[in-house]
Amino acid sequence: MSGALLEARDLRFVRRGDAGPLKVLDGASLTVARGEIVDISGPSGAGKTTLLRALAVMQPGVAGDVLLDGRPVGEIGAREWRVRVALLPQKPVLVSGDVRTNLRLPWQLKVRAEDRAPDDDELRAALDRVGLAEVALDREAVRLSVGQAARVALLRVVLTAPDVLLLDEPDAALDADSAAQVAQLTTQFARDGAVVRVRHQRPDGVRARRLRLSAGRLHGVGDSD
Amino acid sequence: MTETAGVVAIGWPQLVLSAGFMVLVGIISIRLSLGIEKDLAIATVRTYLQLFILGLVLRWVFGIDSAWLVLALMLLMVLMAARTILNRAPDAPAGIFGSSVVSMGLTGFIVTFAVTGLVVQVEPWYRAQYVIPIAGMVLGNSMTGIALALERVFADLDGRAEELVALVALGATPWEAASPSVRKAISAALIPTINSMAAAGIVFIPGMMTGQILAGADPLAASAYQIVVMLMVAAATAIGSVAAVMLTFRRRFSTDGVYLEKGIREDAEAHR
Repeated sequence: MSGALLEARDLRFVRRGDAGPLKVLDGASLTVARGEIVDISGPSGAGKTTLLRALAVMQPGVAGDVLLDGRPVGEIGAREWRVRVALLPQKPVLVSGDVRTNLRLPWQLKVRAEDRAPDDDELRAALDRVGLAEVALDREAVRLSVGQAARVALLRVVLTAPDVLLLDEPDAALDADSAAQVAQLTTQFARDGAVVRVRHQRPDGVRARRLRLSAGRLHGVGDSD
Repeated sequence: MTETAGVVAIGWPQLVLSAGFMVLVGIISIRLSLGIEKDLAIATVRTYLQLFILGLVLRWVFGIDSAWLVLALMLLMVLMAARTILNRAPDAPAGIFGSSVVSMGLTGFIVTFAVTGLVVQVEPWYRAQYVIPIAGMVLGNSMTGIALALERVFADLDGRAEELVALVALGATPWEAASPSVRKAISAALIPTINSMAAAGIVFIPGMMTGQILAGADPLAASAYQIVVMLMVAAATAIGSVAAVMLTFRRRFSTDGVYLEKGIREDAEAHR
């Protein structure tokens, strides 16, 4: 299929379950185009997080192919793949230090040694855009509320400008206001990139293609807006 | 009592008498239902047996005077120490035995022969009377340090599992993700050594110096020996812990750099 930014073909993953081997992914396939948001729902324990991790090349033992712009992981390299297909885990993880340290964390890594880290003005503007105008750059990360921490963690990934954003229940623990800000940031990002979200809450007004993961495969269940 | 060359020899009556105190502790254990009398008895018997066998083996080794025998004995000590490390760090990933042998062997041999060759300057270089006891001290201490460092690094990595996933997702290498835990583990391994260096001579008389004084050595000469050994043991602990942790932390990551958390560890290993 042409125009596919991210493609997963026939993903298979078997987990050791309490009652014998469990086929978590059993031929799951997915194609995401640039500018698209894909929402994945499914019963709890169906393997949604496993699928996201597989798309980020972070689930050892998964069989099948993942392609970015038609190129396999082997060609791109796992680390470079993760820079371009960025996974945001469900629980926001901030390191000790202030908000500035946390937002600049990605540029402390060797993989971005050549890139310029955003300066204070850029960070300030980015925080203001997601409703964090009241959060100072030198606020200690531990003093952020859950909703603020979630937005800082999302902003940190968005600022690295990946091609694809993988969000694991990005608004599960958020109040309505924070959730709306996260939804807005997600929509903005999807203008140039693509987003795959694991979600099973109420519709949040984001136009998305909806898929359901059951019995290890993905099934289309229509669009939402 | 007989006295030869400044050493008061201990005979069978004294050996039996010392066991009498253990019987007393055993009676206390039974009366207070501590439940340790069986372990106590086994430990006492082991002390007698192991130390007498050690004495016999050392007497034999000293008599034979062979470089190969000394080296073989040191290798055996390294292997036994690596096995002990394995038991003390049960959460460590499979395959740390080899890394433990390498790091123990490396530090054990280099530091031991640095002491006997460069500092004490024994002739010939393999003289068992010097090499074996010093190797024992160096290996024993670095074993404790390495076991502590390995236990710590893997416990700390598991404690930071969520952070490690987030860091790897941002493109971190295993070293970038693990380095805070590695640093913490190595410092933790060195703290007991540093503490014992700081307290030496004030709180306690170190074991080797005690032994030399009891054997009739001049206290000042014994001090000099103890200083050398203490610094060398500290160095061996440091080098050994660093080597062991650096050689093993990567095993907790998959080949393409993903941290293997508790949940995915077995699945990942089953697919290897």
